[in-house]
Amino acid sequence: MKFIDTHHDTWHTALGEDGPQPHPTAAANLLLTLEQWHAVRDTWPAGLAVGVSLANTVDIETLEADLPRLGLIALHFPKFVDGRAYSQAHLLRARYRYTGQLRATGDVLVDMLPLLQRTGFDAVLLRHDQKRESAERALGFFAGHYQGDVQQPLPAFARDVGAELAAKRQLDADAAAGQGI
Amino acid sequence: MYAYTDFDRQFVRARAAQFRDQLQRNLSGELADDDFKPLRLQNGWYVQRHAPMLRVAVPYGEINARQLHQLAVIAREFDQGWGHFTTRQNLQYNWIPLPKAADVMDKLAAVDMHGIQTSGNCIRNITSDALAGIAADETVDPRPYAEVMRQWSTLHPEFAFLPRKFKIAITGAAEDRAAIGWHDVGLRVLKNDAGEVGFSVLVGGGMGRTPIIGTQIRAFLPWDQILCYLEAIVRVYNRYGRRDNAYKARIKILVKAEGQKYFDAVEEEFQRILKEDVGGAVQLIPQAEFDRINASFQRPAGVVPVGTAAAPAAAEGAPLAYQRWLQRNVHAHQVAGYAAVTLSLKRAGQAPGDVTADQMDAAANLSTRHSHGELRVTHDQNLLLPWVKQADLPALFEAAQAASFATPNIGLITDMINCPGGDFCALANARSIPVAAAITERFADLDEVYDIGDIDLHISGCINSCGHHHSGHIGVLGVDKDGSEWYQVSLAGSDGSTLSGEATPGKVIGPSFAAEEVPDVIEAVVDTYRAHRTAGERFIDTVRRIGLPPFKAAADAQRHLTAVR
Repeated sequence: MKFIDTHHDTWHTALGEDGPQPHPTAAANLLLTLEQWHAVRDTWPAGLAVGVSLANTVDIETLEADLPRLGLIALHFPKFVDGRAYSQAHLLRARYRYTGQLRATGDVLVDMLPLLQRTGFDAVLLRHDQKRESAERALGFFAGHYQGDVQQPLPAFARDVGAELAAKRQLDADAAAGQGI
Repeated sequence: MYAYTDFDRQFVRARAAQFRDQLQRNLSGELADDDFKPLRLQNGWYVQRHAPMLRVAVPYGEINARQLHQLAVIAREFDQGWGHFTTRQNLQYNWIPLPKAADVMDKLAAVDMHGIQTSGNCIRNITSDALAGIAADETVDPRPYAEVMRQWSTLHPEFAFLPRKFKIAITGAAEDRAAIGWHDVGLRVLKNDAGEVGFSVLVGGGMGRTPIIGTQIRAFLPWDQILCYLEAIVRVYNRYGRRDNAYKARIKILVKAEGQKYFDAVEEEFQRILKEDVGGAVQLIPQAEFDRINASFQRPAGVVPVGTAAAPAAAEGAPLAYQRWLQRNVHAHQVAGYAAVTLSLKRAGQAPGDVTADQMDAAANLSTRHSHGELRVTHDQNLLLPWVKQADLPALFEAAQAASFATPNIGLITDMINCPGGDFCALANARSIPVAAAITERFADLDEVYDIGDIDLHISGCINSCGHHHSGHIGVLGVDKDGSEWYQVSLAGSDGSTLSGEATPGKVIGPSFAAEEVPDVIEAVVDTYRAHRTAGERFIDTVRRIGLPPFKAAADAQRHLTAVR
């Protein structure tokens, strides 16, 4: 999981004085709104990295043809209890085979990390008051899960969960030993 | 019952450790109360009037003696010595201080228990027929399917923050003892003409402010496709269910608003999951996995047919109390010579569904002695022993009597469903326990209770409907008007059982009543039935035959404090 630091982010929004520029000039690593992307899509140079921010009400289906051109999709959590973006993420990865960065933005809390990771997010912009250390710890509690997910498409009944348990125990033992030094 | 594997055990321990981390961050101030709330809810922790309430999951109502003893230990060490069984087959504590919460989760994990998804806007603990696997009228044992779905829904990463709570109920018997029509998804596992197992799938049922009965979306879904089909149902709901108003956020509102469009969307989504998704078709349940899980649900060793399949009968001259207990609390069984026995948790002096720590131990001991250490929590808030030898019934009766479990009232007016209400619940508009107590006192005469016969009395302290008032033959709903408690009475609701008829919400019989009037109103309604019934006619049938007006008139005549408008 990549933790985004807004001060050192390679991606930039195209904001004018009155909000998003209606027709931004093509440049590398622009993170556009969906409206901006629609405005420039037909003229955007092939191979120039571009990203899109989506509201959680957007039907991913409508973006299918554009996906190979996108290097970043930012999905939004207006409130952390609004889980629509998990379904968007799952569809992007599991159905449309999107391979670019998938970033969670908005009300992103430490305790969402396991869900984000499992539905296909690989980058998060944590809410300002959240601790990265706690977020990393939140990813480490479970050896495996029952149902498959984007990271591990096989459900438990199709995996060797015994080996997963052993690996997790080894990891925990190593961590405990490391703390003792 | 399901035997935990090493993986299952490690999983609930990991969940307890995760919760401890969250609790510590909350107590240290790192995790704000508002942010902690949805997290603790998904582990069963509410904040109630006196202390947090913990709802412990009892998956599809199956529990063993060791677990029940541990619940007693927790009741003594952490609570004030009580527990409360709910209509969703779970157990609630009301007095545990939050700083102790993580210790309790460790204690639960030690006996393969947890509070995962017993609250919150996620897929809740799955409920089933309390007679699953033992019912004489069963076509297919629903428990292995319930367990497969429990595992699938547990910490599902995409469906942890749905628009609203999501409840699945499953039955495999001719009689619906799980009220499947009243659930977000109701499943009936059955066999088609070719003898293949599959599901009749209902979707969009629910209680609350807008009671709706589920609609059939599939008449026969092959059993191995259930996880993919549920994924389709829940994904369409997660994407398009309303989130602007909590009262309109259940799936029933989406299904009602969209109708066939919702059904079509689910079918399309289902096909795409199977045909297009990475991780889609791999969820088809292999026979080997079903067999692995089903192995847990074999009859306990030693349970073999004894004699003929005759129902237990009392010996000539047996005491009336025993005869009545046989009639009401003892149920037919799949295995000849066996019976299922309800331990009634409906008795004077204790709230419906309540048990003390000592009673938990007593029930666990009865199960060890007479039921291979297994028990069930029933949808109407009683306990049930699933594997009782008919020959043991006299001894069990005596022991159950000594432990206060032998009230012979199952299915009768004092076997009422009742939520904790305003005495405990922060959501409630009115108290329900005193109402239940007053009615229990009013109907203390067992002869009269038997004369009234089969009747479902359901009491909820608020519109959230935990007491299932919508499905009661008589429903009582607590409402708040100008800060005082009032009670709306409805008639002719049904949970969908053969006795009660097709599932349907009851009809309100007029303006609400004052608390003091409620027992009089119930009595007047019951007396009206007794005056109008034909020979052998049950309450619900009389109400349907003669309609509401005579009952309404009788109820209105009891208004001493409330004027009829």
